[in-house]
Order: sequence, then structure tokens, then C-alpha cells
Amino acid sequence: MIVPLISLILLCPLAAFAFFGLMSLARRSVPRQDYLSTAAMLFALVCSLLLLQQVVPHPEPHTVEWISIGKISFSMGFYLDSVTAIMLIVVTLVSSLVHIFSMGYMHGDPRYPRFFAFLSLFSFSMLFLVVSDNLLGIYIGWELVGLCSYLLIGFWFEKDSAANACKKAFLTTRVGDIGMFIGMMMLFTKFSTLALYGEDGIFALAANLSTGDMVWLSIAGVLIFCGAVGKSAQVPLHTWLPDAMEGPTPVSALIHAATMVAAGVYLTARMFPILTETSSLIIAYIGGITALVAATIAIVRVDIKRVLAYSTVSQLGYMMLGIGVGSYVAGLFHLTTHAFFKALLFLGSGSVIHAFHAMHAHSHDEHDAHGHAHADSDANEHTHEDGDSELVHAHGSDIPPDQDMRNMGGLRHKMPITFATMLIATLSISGVPFLFSGFWSKDAILGGVLERAMEWSSVHHYVLFGMALFAAGITAFYMFRLIFMTFFGEPRNQEMHDMAHESPKVMTVPLIVLAVLSFPVVNVLWFNDAYVTPPKQPHIHAPAHAGVFNDTKGTFSLFGVSEAVAAEEEGAHDTHADEGHHGHSPAHTIAMVLSIIVAGLGILLSWLFYHRRTLSAESVATTFRPLYHLFWRKYYFDEFYNGVLVALTVWKARLFAQFDGTVVDGIVNGIGRVTRDILAAFTGFFDNRVVDGLVNRVAQVTWAMGGRIRRIQTGAIQTYLLIVLAGIVVLILVFRAL
Amino acid sequence: MSLQHYLVISAMLFTLGIFAVLTRRNAISILMGIELILNSCNLNFAAFSRFVTPPENIDGQIIAIFGIVLAAAEAAVFLAIILAIYREFGSIRPNEVDTLKG
Amino acid sequence: MEFTLKTLIFYGFALLTVASGIVVVTVRNIVHAAFSLMVTLFGVAGLYVFLQADFLAATQVIVYVGGILVLILFGVMMTSGRLEMRIHIERGQLLLGAVVAIALLMLLLAVIANTPQWKNVADDGTQLQPTTESIGTLILNGQFLLPFEVVSVLLLVALIGAALISRKEVRE
Repeated sequence: MIVPLISLILLCPLAAFAFFGLMSLARRSVPRQDYLSTAAMLFALVCSLLLLQQVVPHPEPHTVEWISIGKISFSMGFYLDSVTAIMLIVVTLVSSLVHIFSMGYMHGDPRYPRFFAFLSLFSFSMLFLVVSDNLLGIYIGWELVGLCSYLLIGFWFEKDSAANACKKAFLTTRVGDIGMFIGMMMLFTKFSTLALYGEDGIFALAANLSTGDMVWLSIAGVLIFCGAVGKSAQVPLHTWLPDAMEGPTPVSALIHAATMVAAGVYLTARMFPILTETSSLIIAYIGGITALVAATIAIVRVDIKRVLAYSTVSQLGYMMLGIGVGSYVAGLFHLTTHAFFKALLFLGSGSVIHAFHAMHAHSHDEHDAHGHAHADSDANEHTHEDGDSELVHAHGSDIPPDQDMRNMGGLRHKMPITFATMLIATLSISGVPFLFSGFWSKDAILGGVLERAMEWSSVHHYVLFGMALFAAGITAFYMFRLIFMTFFGEPRNQEMHDMAHESPKVMTVPLIVLAVLSFPVVNVLWFNDAYVTPPKQPHIHAPAHAGVFNDTKGTFSLFGVSEAVAAEEEGAHDTHADEGHHGHSPAHTIAMVLSIIVAGLGILLSWLFYHRRTLSAESVATTFRPLYHLFWRKYYFDEFYNGVLVALTVWKARLFAQFDGTVVDGIVNGIGRVTRDILAAFTGFFDNRVVDGLVNRVAQVTWAMGGRIRRIQTGAIQTYLLIVLAGIVVLILVFRAL
Repeated sequence: MSLQHYLVISAMLFTLGIFAVLTRRNAISILMGIELILNSCNLNFAAFSRFVTPPENIDGQIIAIFGIVLAAAEAAVFLAIILAIYREFGSIRPNEVDTLKG
Repeated sequence: MEFTLKTLIFYGFALLTVASGIVVVTVRNIVHAAFSLMVTLFGVAGLYVFLQADFLAATQVIVYVGGILVLILFGVMMTSGRLEMRIHIERGQLLLGAVVAIALLMLLLAVIANTPQWKNVADDGTQLQPTTESIGTLILNGQFLLPFEVVSVLLLVALIGAALISRKEVRE
């Protein structure tokens, strides 16, 4: 039952895409690509839900041999464990909702069918990546995901900023992919296979490695993680993700929630068993730094989508941190909860933008019917610069007015559904306790970090815990800043405010569905001990003095109430609540209390700054001017890349061009001249005299000899006869057999 | 009248025929030489038939008869060719008919 | 060897044949050569009689003397004018031809003399049956039927071919 179901899940979006491809090859217009794609995704969702029941505790890969080169064979196959099943549901669910939302958001776009075709391909790629049982399959899905994100980010390629953004996304992730590919090749060289599971799989073989191979395995693990750094936008390769906002908002939702960035986290989790202590620590640090850096940048953004983008980067950092400290379940748990509330936030912001769009479409009917491509031309009129900080983004594209939070405000009455759903998502991401899924998943990670720190008495992990906690507070702060600036207060731009309106049902329904999912509904899957078992990490050992290695599930067991809530909400699910099974870890209690305090502080500050206005953001910005600039400039990452890497590359290219122009061309031309003037003259002489001479001489000799010999041919028959007879006589005399 | 007598006579006729073919400058004389050669052959056949094979076996004589028939046919065609050559070249001297001379 | 009348006549025929053959190849006048050839052919026919090949001797006389020789004389008359009757012989060619011919003769005589199976195979004087009947049986009802038919076709072809070659070409 498993293989047919997985095949169906994969084939549905692929068929939707292929249908579009065939139709466009046949130069037929596709009548309702949106219905087709959406139906395919919904069907895949149903299949995924059915698949949830099929998971067995110890799954076997379903593999067929694919390519055989010499003794090496590459196999293709599916691997279905609980994590795969949950990921399938997350991807298909978010993708379905994005499809539905897009039917409203993209309505009237000239490339409307193509958009849905790309969405289908995007979903297929991600699903393929998720179910693959080997690194090769994962890599194929991985690159397909990259390609689709390129196509979708650059969907409005008429805009220079979109064209640049998609190139940037593609190239930046490619940097990480190179690392990943090298890592794959290292594993392949060592184990002669790319299969992950089974007796001959990488995991089984890696578990038996001696301690002498640990350095090597660490390097391979970090290199593969490089791919995840690119795809999941970790520092220092995170810069493409905010720029990817140039794509249509549903695409942003898909990229941020379910497909592109999730791929990186998923890959890291998949490679969990081969992580060593060193590589784990590197992953944890990169995750922690990313969480903190992105969160601080997000504080000062004014573009609603970019705030969300940096918040995604920050949350991805959390997930990596979780996996890095061995909290496998916590990391993936956060991935799923984040998928839902981040999709909700993006779709909500899309709804807001759409509201302003509609206004633009009204007031500028004559020049743009669908109202997207005009963003550039209008940008200059509406952007009011902030005086001392030149509001210039990485590529000099100004903030589109319909995405600028400073134009918003007071929208909660105009757009009640959007407001309510976005508020739920914000509460979730900010870590408001107990009622929202984000709290549980984030707290699981924080608890995991602190637990590891206390068990190992590790300074590294205490530092990481501090960073994560600080980032959690900042997250709460900037997310509420977004809510306050957008939905509360007085309208700042009366004209735009007047035209704003609630989005149509096709857009609000997905919001409501996602809002429901932002309550701890999905948690039930992760609470169930029997359902998700973290894989063993054979190369990570607790220090001798530390206590028994405890997996992070203790945190859930600690709060039996959460399971009760989850059980109530999910209803049908039978959760095996087993308090005390893991023992009560004090680390999780401490982490939880601290995270609640920090989140509360963040929300409070945000309220003071942006709602009550008892504190002035401007004065703080002036006081901490260097810090403000650092955040505003996004830690100068783009400037660094542009100023150093790009300049270096260009300088190097010029140098090489110079080298080519003078040295290489000089050598080639010199050789050419020598060849022409000396060698060619010599060979020409040789040809004329020696070769031609020989040929002519042979011809002359032949001619002369022919002239002589032809005299034998007298034409007199008696002469011939005479010679023949004389010959016969001579022959008989010579060879006489008498 | 042993076999060798006939063979010697035959060899002489053969040699005379060869000599005529080699030296005569007239096509008809050459034809006569050829007839001598053929006669020497037939004489050999008849002699071998008489002395070498059993007396009842007269295959050699029959071959000789066939030889005479062939000689007749050959003479007819030869003379026809000579007539054609004579019309073409105005001569039947073989050394004057040398179109194939190299 | 006993020198009987029969032997005498044999040697007479042999001498006649060889001598007239020599005349054929040496005489300058082509008409004389032709008539000398007739004598040679008669001589050969006589030798056939000594070999007890009666039918062969008769055929020799009828076909050669009655047919081929007449044909040759017709050829002579049609191609040669009165002045062309003399046969032209080149000296160098004559010498070379003579050398080759004598060498050939020596070779043949050596072969005849040195072949042991052929020595002392003498005529034992037995009288054979007339051969005409058995020849007819062999040709028309025996193993020579096929060669006989082939030869008849050959004669037909030669007849047609000779007529075709010797006719006057019609030039358009």
C-alpha cells in the first residue's frame, strides 16, 4: 500500500505540470490549469493523510536499481518513516492552501497558467526530495527545488529586481550546493554507495567507523550541511532569501514554509546519524548565529515581507540549532509548526498587499490591469525616505509602497479576518505560552539546548542558549511591531487606507485553515513516543561525568496538559500519554520559564514603542546610532559580498583577461607567426621540391619505361606465337620431368 | 611399324606446321600450317588408339573424326575472317595487319 | 624388323607425307603449296589405313581433300591476284622460326625416344573388324552422342558465323 500511495503523491503534481508542458508544447492554451493543479495537490494531500496510518516503527526502504556503472549501482527508492509522513502532509497541505490562495491572488495575471504549472513542479520536487531513500535522489530533488525557486522568484521577470533576485537565489544556493556535492562524493568514496538505509547504507556503515575517521566524517558532515546553509538561508548565505521576496507572495509562502528552506532543515535531519560532535557543534553555532543576526535585522525593516523573510531566516536558525544540539525531534517539530504559521503570515501579508493592490488597480486602471508590474514606476512617488538613513535595499530597489508598513496602520477594522489570523500566527511565533504551537516547538529547542549544556557542563551550549533566548525575545518584539504598525493605530496614508478592503473568500479560507493549524494540532504527532523515534547518533557520546543522555521528549511529557489539549483538539488520535517515562528534566522547566519571560518582555516593549508610544523608536535609534546602522544595513553582508567577493571576482576576471590578452594571445600569435613564416616556408619548399619532385620523377620513369616496353607489343601475331613457343620450349627444358 | 614410327612422322608434321605458322607471310599459308598441325594430332590419336588402348576400343578414332570436323569448321571461319581482313586492309599479310601495335 | 612389302609401302607413305609437308612449308608459290598439301593429306590417309582406321581414312580423304582443300583454293583465288601468288618470307623471321621449330622437333623426338611405355609397341598384325559400324553405334547410340550433338551445333554456328563475317558490310 505504501509504494502506490507514494507514487500517487509524486505523480499528481508531476502530472499537473506535465499536462501544462505538453499543452504549451502543442501551443494550446490551458483552460483551467489552476483547478487541475489544485485538485492534484488536494488529492496528494489525501494520499498523504492515508499514508500516515501506514508507517511502521522500523521502516524498510523500497528500492529499485536505477543506474549501474561497473560494480557501482545507483538505486532509486522511497523511504517512509514517521518524519517522511509528517513532511509529506506539511508539504501537500501548505502547497494546497497556497494553490487555493493563488487562485485569488494571481487572478488576472497574464501568465496565470504557467504560475500553477511551476507551483506543481515545485511541490513535486520537494515531495521527491522528502521520500527519497538515498542521497542521489535527495540531490536531484534538491536541485529541482532550486530550479523551481529560480523560476518562481523571477516570475515577474520584467522587473529588474525580480530578475536579479532569482539569479542571486540561484547562485547563492549553488555555493552551498558545491559543498554538499563534495560531501556526497566524500561519502561515496568511502562507502561506495549513496543509499542511506539498509545494511549497506551509509548510516549502517558510518556507525562502524573507527574513531580515527572522526575528523573525516566531521568534514563530510559539515560539507553536506553547507548545502543546507545555502538552501535554508543560514549565515553567511542567507542574503538571497529576503531578496526572494520579489516573487509573488504565495511563492514566498511556499518557499518559506514548506519547500525550499525546509529542504535544508530536512536534509540536516536526515543526515542526523552521521553527525559527529564537531560537526554538530558547528551546525549549532551557525544556527544560533543565524537566529540572532536575522532577528536583529528584522527589527528595523519597514517592508512587511522582508520582516517576515528575516523572521524565517531566524526561525530556520532555531531549527538548525535544535538539530545541532541533538534535539532531532525538536528541530523537525519546529519545522512543521513554523511551516503553518509562517505560511499563514505570508499569505496574510499577501492579503494586505492585495488589498492595496486593488486600490492601485482602481486608481491606475489605464496603465495596468493586473496591477503588479507597476510597482517600480510607482515606487518613487510613495517612498518617503527616513532622512539620515538612506533607505536603499541591496540592489537599490526601493520598497514597493504597497508593502511598506509605514503606509499601513489601523487595518484591523478593514480586514478583520486577515487581522485575526495573522495575530494568531504572531502569537504562535512569538512564543506565547501553552495555546499556540510555536511556543511548544521553540521551547523544545531551547530546552534541548539548555539540557545539553547542563548535561555536558558545556560552555558552548550555554552561549548558544543565551543567543537563542535573546533571539526569542527579539522575535516577539519585531513580530508585534509588525502587527502594531500594520493593524493598529491611525491610518498613516489615508488615501490608501480608504481603498483597502478584505480579500475574497478564496484567499481568506486558506488563512483560516492555517490559523487553526497554528494551535497545537500537529503537536500530537510529535508527542507520540511510538510515532517519532529519533535515530541514534553513534558518534556522539555524553561526557563521562554527565548524566544519561536524554532525548528532548522529556519536555512534552513534562507538561501533560499539552498532550491533553492536543488530544482534545485532534479528537480521534490516541496519544499515549506517559508522564514520567523520561524523567522530569529541570532544564526544560528553566528554559520554559525563561522563554515566557523573554517573550513577555519583547511584547511589552513592542507595545510601549509602537502602540502606546511612551517610548520613541526614533530616539533609541539615534542613541544607538552605530548599532541601528548595522541592523539597517543587514550587518553589511550584501555590501561585503558586493564590495569584496564581486569586486574580487571582477578584478580576478580582469586580471585573467589581461593575461589572456597579452600572454596567451601573444604565445598563440607568436606560434602562429613562427608557423606561418618559417615552418610553412620550409614545408612549402619541401613539398615543392622533394614531394613533387618524387612524384614527377616516378611519373617520368614510368612514362619512359612505358615508351620502351610498348615496342614489344608489335601487333604482329607471328611474333607473339614465336615468343610463346620459344617460352614453351625453354620451360619444358628447364622443368623437364622426364 | 611400331608406335614410335607414327609418333615420329606426327612430330615432323607438327614441326613443319609450326614452322609454316611462324614464318609464312601469307594468311592462307598459315592456315595450311595449321592444317598440318591438326593432321599430326589426328594421326597421334589414331596411333594411340591402335597401339595403347585395347584394339576393340576405337575412342581415339572417333576423337580424330571430331578433330577433322573441327578442322573443317575452323577452315571455314578462318577463310571468312581472311576475306573480311582483305576487304578492310587490302592485304592478307599478317605483319601488315597491326592495328594493335603498341 | 622384317622388311616386307607392307613395311616398304608404309615407309613410302611416311616419306611421301613428310616430303610433301616440307614442300608445303617451303615452296614460294601458294598454289603449289596447296597442291602439295593435298599430297600430304593423302599420305596421312594412307597411314590411317595402316592403323586399320578405315572409316577415318575415308573421312580424311572426303573432308580434307574434297572439302577443306577446295576451300583453301577458293580463298587463294579470292584474295590473291596473280602477282600475289608468291609467298613473301623475311629472312630474320625465317631463321628464328627455323631455330624454334628444330628445337621443338628435338624436344618431341627426345620425348618419343625416352618414354619407356612407347618402346617396342609393334603392330602384331591382327586384323580388326571394319570400324564403321561400331563408330556409328558409338556416336548415335553410345557415349559420344552428346559430343556429336555439340559438334553439330558448332558446325551450324561456324556456318552462320562464316557467312556473317564474310558478307559485305552495308555502310549507311
